[in-house]
Amino acid sequence: MSFNPPDGTRYVLPDAAARRAQVVGTLRDLYRAWGYDMVEVPALERYDAGHPRQAQSFKLSDRDSGVLALRSDFTPALAQLVRAEHPAVAGGARRPLRWQYSGTLWHAIDPELARTREFSQVGLELIGVSNARADAEILHLARESVRAVGLQPRLEVGNPGFVRALLDAAAVPDDRRDGIADAIDRKDRRDLADLLAATPGGGAPSGAAAGDAERARQSLLAMPDLYGGTEVLEHARAVAPWAAAQREIDRLAGVLAEFEDASELMLDLAMARRLSYYTGVTFRAYTPDYGQPLLGGGRYDGALLPAAAGFSIGVERLMQATRARAAAPEPAPRVLALDDPAARVLRDAGVRVVRALHTDAEEARAEARDLRVPFLLVAGALEPVEGVAADDDERVAITALLRGAGPIGGGA
Amino acid sequence: MSSPSRLTLALPKGRVMDQSLAVLRAAGLRLDTGGGARALRYDAGDATIIEMRNADVPTYVELGVADAGVVGKDVLLESGSQLVEPVDLGFAACRLSLIRPRGARGTVQRVASKYPRLTADYLRRVGSGAEVVKLSGNVELACVSGLADAVVDVVQTGATLVANDLEEVDVLLHSSARFVVNRAALKLKHETLRPLIEALRGLPGSF
Repeated sequence: MSFNPPDGTRYVLPDAAARRAQVVGTLRDLYRAWGYDMVEVPALERYDAGHPRQAQSFKLSDRDSGVLALRSDFTPALAQLVRAEHPAVAGGARRPLRWQYSGTLWHAIDPELARTREFSQVGLELIGVSNARADAEILHLARESVRAVGLQPRLEVGNPGFVRALLDAAAVPDDRRDGIADAIDRKDRRDLADLLAATPGGGAPSGAAAGDAERARQSLLAMPDLYGGTEVLEHARAVAPWAAAQREIDRLAGVLAEFEDASELMLDLAMARRLSYYTGVTFRAYTPDYGQPLLGGGRYDGALLPAAAGFSIGVERLMQATRARAAAPEPAPRVLALDDPAARVLRDAGVRVVRALHTDAEEARAEARDLRVPFLLVAGALEPVEGVAADDDERVAITALLRGAGPIGGGA
Repeated sequence: MSSPSRLTLALPKGRVMDQSLAVLRAAGLRLDTGGGARALRYDAGDATIIEMRNADVPTYVELGVADAGVVGKDVLLESGSQLVEPVDLGFAACRLSLIRPRGARGTVQRVASKYPRLTADYLRRVGSGAEVVKLSGNVELACVSGLADAVVDVVQTGATLVANDLEEVDVLLHSSARFVVNRAALKLKHETLRPLIEALRGLPGSF
């Protein structure tokens, strides 16, 4: 019998757990202040072969021969909730739902390269609306999330809709798109050139339209280099004169116009991950001295719901990235109490007070020493615990709290 | 990743190290590597260099311990790492091939390789049910000794094959050295990395 948890899972000890709770709380408060309501969804889901992450999910057999899956992604779970509780929005009604979530996810993968099989996310979704202002709100909150935990944000912003418009213009057949989009996403011009050279013209008509498709293929070759500041938008317009591509650039320009200060944003039009899922603006956030994305998200209209966008933050990564800035570990409780009414007064004032397990004062003193608690509360009086470092100012402050409540409590 | 734009580069030990340093210098980096024995991690002027086995380069770059590095396309594909790979440096060209004893016929039952992932993908693609054995070096020995009836390995000149009476029966992929970049670093150290990428692309033999 091993005391270690299963591969890819782990215990979180008090200091780390306190820090996690604090970071998650900071993000929840931020989203709440922006009008995002907390929702919860089950961790047990009905198995669905059409789920975007079904291959990665843990499956369980239900008692009635049904198959269940452990939650592997919050977004499809929230989409199910919308279908169940807001069918009009799921059917296309334009009415904004602002929701936030936090919790655990499970992926049945080999726990390699800094990936665990059990991990936590915090995130939000803005459902039932699709316009540049909604995109900008999500992007803005992504940036604020990184700032809120004390890190300096750098966001990369792309638009797979632009890549798709170019693939359409170049008449790239469906079965070649994922490979080409992947090469664009990796900025691998060698692979991209080879793949395009090996791609048949598809249904490209002859004549002028064929020339257009050829030009679009040249434009696809330029995609990996379309990254940088806002000047990228003008390059993209010049490279892709097709109406659908220009509309995607307009949308991105509209989103950027909502930012008073775009210095922490970088455009990368080669972002082409999950092309069949993300339909509009997508983004990831980074911070200096941390080599992995802290969060990722984007717009996925039509993938799960008619109109929706959101992002999720990996709590474990956020913990790693903020480790250097972490506050001192939470101090031990300050008081060991033999006096329940007085202890309540201190707890109400925010002091951490542990209830003594012994009724004898001498045994309680030993207990306080073992716990490294600096003060003992006996019969309404605070006494320093011998052998535990204590701050006299703290003693005075706690004593004042006890006096302030008055001997008969709460009176005038 | 120390100063805002100073680079940490992951480079493989051996011949590729010298070729990598040469192209990075040609692209304008001032790299003073001194002579003789070097530390595993050292400050070389315009960049900090960390030396490692080539198979470890993708890991260091993917996790952002190094901002960028040089690694063969074969090793990169085997690693499964998702990196930005903006420049084909052209050197260390080779092919990854399926190799059998000369004249061997019949179904392949067992394939030995340093590239188990690529080998398994290949066997799946061609519809073979052969099993894959992972080895760490001298893969041809597996064929010669009878451990396996085929191997998947790198072929550069083909001299080893001739000497051991082996023949190349299929090519899985063509490989060459790639300049690879961590995704976060490309955005966080854009001012340093973008000009470097453009300069590397402009070198003869690069793409």
